[in-house]
Amino acid sequence: MKMGLKINGEFKEFDVDPSTTLLDLLREAGYMSVRRACDTGTCGVCTVLMDGKPVLSCAILALSADGHEITTVEGLKDDEDFQRLLDLFLSEGVDQCGYCNPGFLITAYAMKRELKNPTDEEIKMYLVGNLCRCSGYVGQMRALKKYLGVEE
Amino acid sequence: MRISYFKPGSLEEISELKVQEGSHLFSGGTDLFVKMRYGVFKPKMLIDTKGVRDDPKFDGEKLIIPMNTTYSELLDMGEVMKDFPLLEDAMKEVGSPQIRNRGTPVGNVCNASPAGDFLLTATVMDADVVIAPKMRKMKLKEFVKGPGIVDLKNGEFLYSIEIPRWQGYEHYFEKVGRRNAMNISIASIALLIRFNGDVVEDVKIGFGSVGPRIVMYEDLEERMKGMKLNESLVDEISREYMRRIEPITDLRATKRYRKILVRNLLLKAFHLLKGVV
Ligand SMILES: Cc1cc2nc3c(=O)[nH]c(=O)nc-3n(C[C@H](O)[C@H](O)[C@H](O)COP(=O)(O)OP(=O)(O)OC[C@H]3O[C@@H](n4cnc5c(N)ncnc54)[C@H](O)[C@@H]3O)c2cc1C
Ligand code: FES
Ligand code: FES
Repeated sequence: MKMGLKINGEFKEFDVDPSTTLLDLLREAGYMSVRRACDTGTCGVCTVLMDGKPVLSCAILALSADGHEITTVEGLKDDEDFQRLLDLFLSEGVDQCGYCNPGFLITAYAMKRELKNPTDEEIKMYLVGNLCRCSGYVGQMRALKKYLGVEE
Repeated sequence: MRISYFKPGSLEEISELKVQEGSHLFSGGTDLFVKMRYGVFKPKMLIDTKGVRDDPKFDGEKLIIPMNTTYSELLDMGEVMKDFPLLEDAMKEVGSPQIRNRGTPVGNVCNASPAGDFLLTATVMDADVVIAPKMRKMKLKEFVKGPGIVDLKNGEFLYSIEIPRWQGYEHYFEKVGRRNAMNISIASIALLIRFNGDVVEDVKIGFGSVGPRIVMYEDLEERMKGMKLNESLVDEISREYMRRIEPITDLRATKRYRKILVRNLLLKAFHLLKGVV
């Protein structure tokens, strides 16, 4: 079936089988920052922005995203605020294997736009759907508190 | 086998498609797609309800939540949510922001899982449901018959949930899980209570994840009315809930653990609300 998406500001058309997920579509179209792990909505590595809000692309049928706007890490590379987030992840040594990284970045970017002066607890609650199997989240918290401007 | 996909633009069209064999409705798909992935469901036809769009609203007495309204949309209603603090507490704990941006109360109710947080809260708040296409209205507690079983006839589907405001009531919500909000709960409690001083004027107590449906005991609620909420009443009532509730043992917890948890959740609720015990 035919459908269209605006991905990172660019309008694209697709012809998909109805069982295709948004994650399948994005990866096949070359947006490799969008990762696949659990494929059942629990780990957060497939997080993208849909109309500005974080969603799990593995849990969305491609066809039901028809006409919406999708943002992936690729689309934020020229965004200054996003660049700052990247730099903080690097300087705080957040990543180990890095597989969870794009999902975390997208979710953190959305969090900054949604929460004002969040507490540690609120930051953790917002990230409850993003799992990291390597790090123990200490580095992420350090980087995020700087990013969100809520260091003590 | 190929699945077909439809996104009808009217209630009548949804109803006509739903009559067809192997069809399944969805909104957020956060329950349905996970089940499809695990092979529990093998639909032939998927009907996306998001072609019909009505906004949630508060009419001064009740909150009307039409299908396709997400948790995030409700939580963003700001002022209105102040009148529904129990619902707000429960919705904030559903999944993650990613899940709340897609998942819907209507999907949660139709999924009819005894672990559903929205289902628990709306049941305690004595919600009504409106069933399309004829807009038949009934009590939510009668609509949900058992795990995954709802009272919908061929061609019928849930249009909206209507939740009355409980003014002058205090509330408590808690779910206990193995790790965090993302896990299915071991047991959950939603409670509404109105006091006159120390005396209980009215009370509603519901438990999730401890039976095939949401568990509420009207006679125990009645027994508390007009009584002073003190240690002996709380002790008696919490023991009675523990005695009656018949949970199952599963991957997440044993029957015994759940029974004790039910009592402790009640003790904790009354302790935090009134400093009893
Ligand atoms: C990672 C994760 C975490 C979760 N955490 C929680 C949680 O903390 N608490 C909780 O309660 N739930 C949780 N859930 C379950 C789920 O997200 C919620 O139940 C959600 O509200 C379902 O809404 P939906 O719109 O996505 O449902 P859908 O998947 O679209 O639909 C659910 C069911 O309802 C049927 N249906 C949908 N619309 C209608 C209609 N209009 N009429 C009749 N039938 C209909 C569908 O056929 C399907 O069987 C979680 C799920 C995931 C994947
Ligand atoms: S791959 Fe989507 S949540 Fe894990
Ligand atoms: S760094 Fe390896 S999963 Fe997060």
